[in-house]
Amino acid sequence: MNVQPDLEFIRQLKTAGGDTLKKCFQCATCSVACPLSTDKKPFPRKEMIWASWGLKDKLVTDPDVFLCHQCGDCTEKCPRGAKPGETLGAIRAYAYQQFAWPQGLAKLTTSAKNLPVLIGLPAVVILIMWLFSALIGVSGLHIPNHEQFAEHGYQHFFGSWNFYWYGKNIAFIALIMGVSALIAIISSWMGVTRMWKAMAADAKINATYRPSVFQFISRFLWPSIWETLQHKRFKECKTNSDRVSGHLPLVLAFIGLFLATCWSLIKNDILGLIWPSLHGPLWFWDPIKLIANVAAIAMLYGIWVLWQNRRKMEAEGRASNTFYDWFLIWEVAAVGITGLLAELLRWGGMPGLGYVVYYVHLISVMMLFLYMPYTKFAHIVYRTLAMCFERYRNSSFVQ
Amino acid sequence: MADEHGATGAVLVVGGGISGLTAALEAAEVGNDVFLIEKGPSLGGRVAQMNKYFPKLCPPSCGLEINFRRIRDNRRIRTYTMATVQAVTGAPGNYEVTLSVAPRYVNSNCTACGDCTAACPDEMVNEFNFGLDKAKAIYLPHPMAYPRRYVINKEKLSAAGASAISSACKYGAIDLEMKPETLTVKVTSIVWATGWTPYDAHKMDNLKFGQSPAIVTNMMMERLASPSGPTDGKILRPGDNKPITSIGFVQCAGSRDENHLEYCSHICCMATFKQMSYVREQYPDAEIYVFYIDLRTPGKYEKFRAERMADPKAKFIKGKVADVILEVDGGVTLVAENAVTMEKISQRVDMAVLATGMQPRAALEPMSVAVRQDANGFLLSEADKGYYAAGCAKKAADVVTCAQSSTAAALKALQVSRR
Ligand SMILES: Cc1cc2nc3c(=O)[nH]c(=O)nc-3n(C[C@H](O)[C@H](O)[C@H](O)COP(=O)(O)OP(=O)(O)OC[C@H]3O[C@@H](n4cnc5c(N)ncnc54)[C@H](O)[C@@H]3O)c2cc1C
Ligand code: SF4
Ligand code: SF4
Ligand code: SF4
Ligand code: SF4
Repeated sequence: MNVQPDLEFIRQLKTAGGDTLKKCFQCATCSVACPLSTDKKPFPRKEMIWASWGLKDKLVTDPDVFLCHQCGDCTEKCPRGAKPGETLGAIRAYAYQQFAWPQGLAKLTTSAKNLPVLIGLPAVVILIMWLFSALIGVSGLHIPNHEQFAEHGYQHFFGSWNFYWYGKNIAFIALIMGVSALIAIISSWMGVTRMWKAMAADAKINATYRPSVFQFISRFLWPSIWETLQHKRFKECKTNSDRVSGHLPLVLAFIGLFLATCWSLIKNDILGLIWPSLHGPLWFWDPIKLIANVAAIAMLYGIWVLWQNRRKMEAEGRASNTFYDWFLIWEVAAVGITGLLAELLRWGGMPGLGYVVYYVHLISVMMLFLYMPYTKFAHIVYRTLAMCFERYRNSSFVQ
Repeated sequence: MADEHGATGAVLVVGGGISGLTAALEAAEVGNDVFLIEKGPSLGGRVAQMNKYFPKLCPPSCGLEINFRRIRDNRRIRTYTMATVQAVTGAPGNYEVTLSVAPRYVNSNCTACGDCTAACPDEMVNEFNFGLDKAKAIYLPHPMAYPRRYVINKEKLSAAGASAISSACKYGAIDLEMKPETLTVKVTSIVWATGWTPYDAHKMDNLKFGQSPAIVTNMMMERLASPSGPTDGKILRPGDNKPITSIGFVQCAGSRDENHLEYCSHICCMATFKQMSYVREQYPDAEIYVFYIDLRTPGKYEKFRAERMADPKAKFIKGKVADVILEVDGGVTLVAENAVTMEKISQRVDMAVLATGMQPRAALEPMSVAVRQDANGFLLSEADKGYYAAGCAKKAADVVTCAQSSTAAALKALQVSRR
């Protein structure tokens, strides 16, 4: 085995929270402390030695790296302050970069130095779209008066046209968010397929009989998602159990907001065609609107818990202060705060300020979408797929 | 203190363990006066609690008794047990040290006949045996005790007990009115040999010490194996006195751990090898499991280690025990990841021995005199003050190394007196 320490790899790990890695002396306390580690394949001790040897290829194809929920139980018990939980987080950050596409965009998300660009990019794109919408319509780039604001809320942000079938505002939002989401989906798809292939190769799986899409979903994907939703593994954590009380509301909030967005689209742009009265912002007591509002509050609450928790862990020296961990917290907090603020301003009838806040809200949402596959947010796809892989590897397809 | 043989100063040695004894003898044999003070009721320190000690694996009596005889025969050494330093005044080279001597309640008439203990109705936890059995409120510190004189724990003595023992003693040795005393001595330098204490195993909550009698520390194991111990030297599981068929040694229990003692205690790997031989002598078929991070044995003990490693019924697992499960049958299961096979192992054993480390006593008991300590509480020598640290007070070590550092400390202390 060629143990050439890869300096770039070590450097990347260090910036993402793996700076303590060299302190490990392989006592294996962490593997026993970890509530998710199994008898046959314990972690994270082996990952610690691979990391210090610079065996990055072994690490990025190791499902255990992705199964870790960064609970910190191992870090708590580590006799050397090597912070294995944080190191695994850093390895994941590195892996997301390795599997990422396009590489340039991925690189950008690794450092706080790039924040001006990271924020500037969506800011400029949305601003251009905003100006453009003004160019091609009568009601673009404007601040509505009170009556208009009361009636349409932010639904005329990009203006409106009288074309019956498709709202101008929707067209622009779809263009911005749809394209961002599409990039994210393509990128995630490429990333997880790379990961899957690499893992299968590493585990020397050459199954002759491959699961169909239906089998894949019903036997591997759905059970993994269901397990995630229940936070089963998360709840095994002991030292930082309050993270569940932050993460669970957050997950439910995302689901709630997703449903509300879908409903709003259907109502406005499909049902609204038949019953024009359905056009317009949702009524406050609309059940879906209620869900959305509850979700928004759950999101703010969840991120507040996680924010506090992270701060506490760092203050107690149980976690490292890294851009990787904070960027996602900031992003989600920004989405939540600007979203709620925009709504409050709408109720308060303050169109000028409302539009500015809404603009910032769009920026933060676009950031969340666009950078999803490269930031900590990527865990939703990579961990889910790693869980699928574990199920697959132990299934009759392989054994 | 003036000296008729021309030596100019006396040396104070604090601590009567093997290190303090060595330092005192070295200094006295060169011709200096020595005051040797010991906090406990007897000299000997931790070595007295061992069953056997390496390198020769002889019982502690063989080393301690020679030293005690030499101390007794040396007119220059004055020993005070139950004594501690209260204050040090004056300048280096010319110290006046105030000692306080706690009452022993037994005077020099005592012949160590033991009649009082037999008559005493009051029992207490036996600290010498780490709570494995009970002792009477009047007791001989240990079989080799020096001075060979009983001592009373007055807090544990009832009124009935007091009259029972007083009437049992034929020599008028019991004096319950004894008062604490202070005395001052003049010395030029001080050797600190205050030794060590086993690290409190309760602090490693994952190792469950105290939750099952089947979990003992290595020092308890010394007492279990010792003929003067609670089981007369038979290694039996505390609690139910069951002979064992398997035993697990948990290395680095609390040592090399940022959350506990961050240093390696240096001796516990060897102590485990030694205790494996105790087990093997009594149980030729018992299974022995040793969980370790790496086994550290000083070069001079390589051969001893090799012999133990060759034991066909001993398994060495590279991985620290990080969890212990209590079993209903009284045994325990030790959980670790074997870093060699990369699998987690859960090994059930009848009894588990935690190889706890050595913590400097000065880290636990605040010193009445300011002596410089490192971050872990080990004492540092201060030549300008004429303070010299020796033995385990200075660094966790075996007896041989302690003797060397004590000799060195004694010689340096003498240099101060001859400046
Ligand atoms: C499980 C185990 C097994 C071991 N087995 C061996 C072995 O086989 N061979 C070997 O070479 N080594 C062995 N050791 C190490 C050995 O115990 C030490 O090297 C030895 O005890 C050191 O002696 P010491 O005099 O420095 O300290 P101690 O033995 O601790 O003596 C210090 C003395 O100072 C006294 N004292 C403390 N504070 C004060 C104070 N303020 N004032 C006055 N007096 C005070 C104490 O009461 C004590 O009597 C073992 C250690 C362990 C943990
Ligand atoms: S990370 Fe810590 S607990 Fe895990 S093997 Fe290394 S030193 Fe031991
Ligand atoms: S952070 Fe938690 S889940 Fe991850 S390795 Fe450590 S103990 Fe296991
Ligand atoms: S105190 Fe009296 S009875 Fe007790 S041992 Fe000494 S001499 Fe004997
Ligand atoms: S001597 Fe052995 S058991 Fe003791 S701390 Fe050092 S390595 Fe651990």
